[in-house]
Amino acid sequence: MGDKSESSGSRKRRRDEADEEEEKTEAAGDADEAPSLEDSLMFSDTLVALRIMRAQFPRIDKVAIEPFVLRSQLYSSVKDRTQVDRELETLKRENMLRIFKLNTGQDDHAIMFLEDYLNQIERVTKRLEENKKSDTEVLEWFKKYVIDCKLEPSIDHQELCLLLSNGGKVKDEHISLLINAGLLTRQLIDPNMYWFAIPNIGSILKGLSQGRKELLSLLKRRRYKEMMLAPLEKKRLRLSPLDIRFHLRDLIGSGHLKTLCTPTGLVVRVSKD
Amino acid sequence: MWREIANREAGKTRPNSFKSRVTSGLSSDLQLSNHKDIVSPHRGSVNSLQVDLTEGRYLLSGAADASTAVFDVQRATEYEGGGAIAKHRHVFAIDKQHRAAHKFAVSTAIWYPIDTGLFITGSYDHYIKVWDTNSTQVVMNFKMPGKVYRAAMSPLATSHMLIAAGTEDVQVRLCDIASGAFSHTLSGHRDGVMTVEWSTSSEWVLVTGGCDGAIRFWDIRRAGCFRVLDQSRTQLGRRLPVLRRSMTNKKKTVTGNGAKQQLALGRTPGKGSVKLRMHPGLLSTQDRATAHYGAVTGSRVTEDGMYLLSAGSDSRLRLWDIESGCNTLVNFETARLQTSKPIQMATSGDSRLAFVPCMTAVKAFDLWSGETSMVLRGHYENVNCCWFSSQDQELYTGGNDRQILVWSSSKPHEDVSVAEDGDNWSD
Repeated sequence: MGDKSESSGSRKRRRDEADEEEEKTEAAGDADEAPSLEDSLMFSDTLVALRIMRAQFPRIDKVAIEPFVLRSQLYSSVKDRTQVDRELETLKRENMLRIFKLNTGQDDHAIMFLEDYLNQIERVTKRLEENKKSDTEVLEWFKKYVIDCKLEPSIDHQELCLLLSNGGKVKDEHISLLINAGLLTRQLIDPNMYWFAIPNIGSILKGLSQGRKELLSLLKRRRYKEMMLAPLEKKRLRLSPLDIRFHLRDLIGSGHLKTLCTPTGLVVRVSKD
Repeated sequence: MWREIANREAGKTRPNSFKSRVTSGLSSDLQLSNHKDIVSPHRGSVNSLQVDLTEGRYLLSGAADASTAVFDVQRATEYEGGGAIAKHRHVFAIDKQHRAAHKFAVSTAIWYPIDTGLFITGSYDHYIKVWDTNSTQVVMNFKMPGKVYRAAMSPLATSHMLIAAGTEDVQVRLCDIASGAFSHTLSGHRDGVMTVEWSTSSEWVLVTGGCDGAIRFWDIRRAGCFRVLDQSRTQLGRRLPVLRRSMTNKKKTVTGNGAKQQLALGRTPGKGSVKLRMHPGLLSTQDRATAHYGAVTGSRVTEDGMYLLSAGSDSRLRLWDIESGCNTLVNFETARLQTSKPIQMATSGDSRLAFVPCMTAVKAFDLWSGETSMVLRGHYENVNCCWFSSQDQELYTGGNDRQILVWSSSKPHEDVSVAEDGDNWSD
């Protein structure tokens, strides 16, 4: 599976792979029943798409970050969106991945596998331990008690303190440490609620929104607001560390761009609505 | 078509399946009607449309130039094009010149559910007026604390005649027509209330959606709301019948009762204060679950009263199972939805299709799979409201371009449209 993803080059082939996988493997059982052990051993097609896209995540030299996938990218690579939503929900309940709400738009969500997220927290813990002497046991409590228990992307203050106090006495400095480490961010609307966040992701999010704008303006400046996919893929974005395939998938999934089949290949066009 | 009728007559097809086949065939093929046209007298965007529930004959529209108009959608006022196109002009229209008319935009206009003798309009000038249809006079006036976004009356009510009003104030007020006063207020929302709908299965249950993103269910006989929809409480599709149902929702929501139990264990939460024992109705105000990440701009309860479709300013449409209060995770593909005004959605009679105004087009979604089955483009500007008439299988839409468009099936109807009598012979 890993080799196949590395060797094939074009995005269209990737999408065809995801479609083939769809036909080969059925979705994990009847979605309404409780997931049994044999169902969770099979691959659902959202899972295949997630693994493929995780393998394609671009390496960024400046920031050390584990791969994540945006929800809109999943929508563009699996045909049925309702199925994507439901399978994500099943995978989330099985504790295989976590979903985070991003602040780069109304409905942006990032999906990260649980192992990657825990690795990211490890990295942050190490960095904090090197830099200052303040107690980083909160991060351990966070990993042990909060992440296991709370599956939604947000948590409120009371519940956070309650879960953390399973490890020891909770002080305000502990919560500040969690926020400084980047694991929690305060919600703008409600001062008592926090969003879970991916640490060290700030510069990448900036690159994400700027890259989106750049790609959209690139296409809008053209006379007919469209371009062939093959030459478009080879371009490099100036403002974003993420590659153009990432942005293309994201914009197609969120509806800003649409693809059309033409005799000479796929064409990407700005959708008007 | 004749063969199908013959089958039904002979008993080969059951009448219900014949009816549903015909209606679903008509409603799945909607286009701009080529035989019916509504001439709109409005000079402002059309904000609200409703066909009366008793006869299905009169269409009431409210517009942003403070005007209200009533159209007869079954009998045309004149014919054009040699009898091929039926033009429907307004039966009467109330505009700003009327003595008792609204001063600012009319945001909602609804019929009294029992008969068409009364209708109710709510406007941005903070008033809700009850009008007598035959004399077009204002019978009753209710002053609200803020701009009225929506008013609703229960179609099932037999023991009350309350108008539920959602305004930019945080409280939902219930106005009583019988006494002319406010009966009570429902508080719990933390921002204005953009959508108000009565349940189609109980005359006491009200569903409201607020600008804070919460959808609350109220039983008006009790204090407080009895359910707040949370978008993270999910179920995968329809619930199974009772015997085989398995509870996949593991975690419990944190409610007031939960906090009390945790306090009893001797642990005090870090920053919070000890909760006083509160009335169970007031505890619901502490529940901050949101149904959408932005404001809730539209909601629609299906005919059988089991599911709720809600639209939010985060451009998502969500389908909720009312009984369990869970998000069914059906994904409706919408790129953008209007965020500043409430939108009015419609569902087809058998609840198979949902019609949602998405910017300048109206999209018809299959309710359970979320796919777009039709995109109806005809308005020049944003569409605000739509209404599906299940009697005629027609969709009426109103938008910012001041037009009311009729969408119907393009197949010819069996009964020939009445042509003008052009000659001098008596019939």
